[in-house]
Amino acid sequence: MVGSLAAVGAGLVTIGAGLGIGLLAAKAMEGIARQPEATAKIQTAMLIAAALIEGVALFCAIICLIGINSGA
Amino acid sequence: MASGATEGLSRAEQVQEFVMHHVQDAPNWHIGPIEIPLPEFLTVHLLMAIIGTSFLTWLFGSYYRKRISTEKAPSGFHNALETLVLFVRDEISIAYLGEKDGKRLAPLMLSFFFLILTFNLMGIIPVFSTVTSNLSATAALAVLTFVVMTFGTVLKNGPKAFFSAFMPHGIPFPINILIFFLEFLGVFIKAGVLALRLFANLLAGHIALFSVLGLLLTYGAVAFPVIFLGLFVYMLEILVAFLQAYIFTMLSALFIGQVFHPEH
Repeated sequence: MVGSLAAVGAGLVTIGAGLGIGLLAAKAMEGIARQPEATAKIQTAMLIAAALIEGVALFCAIICLIGINSGA
Repeated sequence: MASGATEGLSRAEQVQEFVMHHVQDAPNWHIGPIEIPLPEFLTVHLLMAIIGTSFLTWLFGSYYRKRISTEKAPSGFHNALETLVLFVRDEISIAYLGEKDGKRLAPLMLSFFFLILTFNLMGIIPVFSTVTSNLSATAALAVLTFVVMTFGTVLKNGPKAFFSAFMPHGIPFPINILIFFLEFLGVFIKAGVLALRLFANLLAGHIALFSVLGLLLTYGAVAFPVIFLGLFVYMLEILVAFLQAYIFTMLSALFIGQVFHPEH
C-alpha cells in the first residue's frame, strides 16, 4: 500500500473518524460534568456510538485496501 | 520469518506479504515454523469455526448438565457465563423485542453473541486465526438476521402487514412510493452493513497489529520499542472483540424489533 493513492484515502478516512469520535467524546464529557450520577449511562451510550462511527470509518478503510495496487 | 519465495521482493512488498499472509484464509495451517496441510474441504478459517463451535457446545453443554443436576448456586466461571447470558437475554433481547418475542428469539441472540465473541477471542490467541475476519463468515451471520427480519415478519404478521409497514400513513401518494422503495432497500442495506461492520473491525485490528510488527521486520532490532505499540493495539483488539459482539447482537435485535413491531 505504500506510495499509492489508497494510502492517502485511508489517511483521510482517519481524519473523519477522529473528528467524529472526538466530538462525541467532548459532548459526553460535558454531560458527565453536568451530572456525575449519570456517568454509567453516558459511558455506555458513548461506547456504543463510538463503535458505530468507527464502523463507518472501517468500511472505507476496507475499500482503500481493495484499491491497493491501482492508482498512482 | 522470510521464506524463500519472498527474497526477490522489495522491503515494502515483503512487509505487505507478511501482513496479508497472516490475516487471510489459507489452505495450510501455519503454526510457527510448521505448516500443516489441511485436507481438501478445509481451510484455516473453516477449521477455526469448527473448533470454536465445538468448544462452545461442549462448554455450555457441560454447564447446563451441571446446572440441572445440582441445587447450589453457580460459582466461578459458571457464574460469569450465567451473568452474560442473563445480560444478553434481558438487556438486548427483551429490551428491543418486547416480553414475548424477546423470550422466543433469545436463543438466536444468545447464539449470535457467544459465537461472535468466541470467534473474535480465538483470533487473539497466537495459534488460532479469526473466523470473523472473513467476509463470508460475517455475511452468513447477517443472512440469519435478514431471514428473521423478512420471513419471520411474514410468518408473524402476514405478508400484507409486512409490506404495509414500509408505507407510513399520513403521507401523500407519490412520496409514499419513494419511501416504500427506500425502506425496502433499507432492509437489505441494514443486514449488509451488519456483516461489513463486524468484518471490517476485526480485519482492521489484525492488519494494524501486523503492520506495527512489520516495522520490526523493516528496521530490525533497533525498532524494539514498537512492541509496546503492538501491545497497545492488542489490548484494543480485546476491547473491540467484546464490543463488536455486543454491537452485532444489539443491532440485530433492534432491526428485528423495528420490523416485528412497526410503530411509525
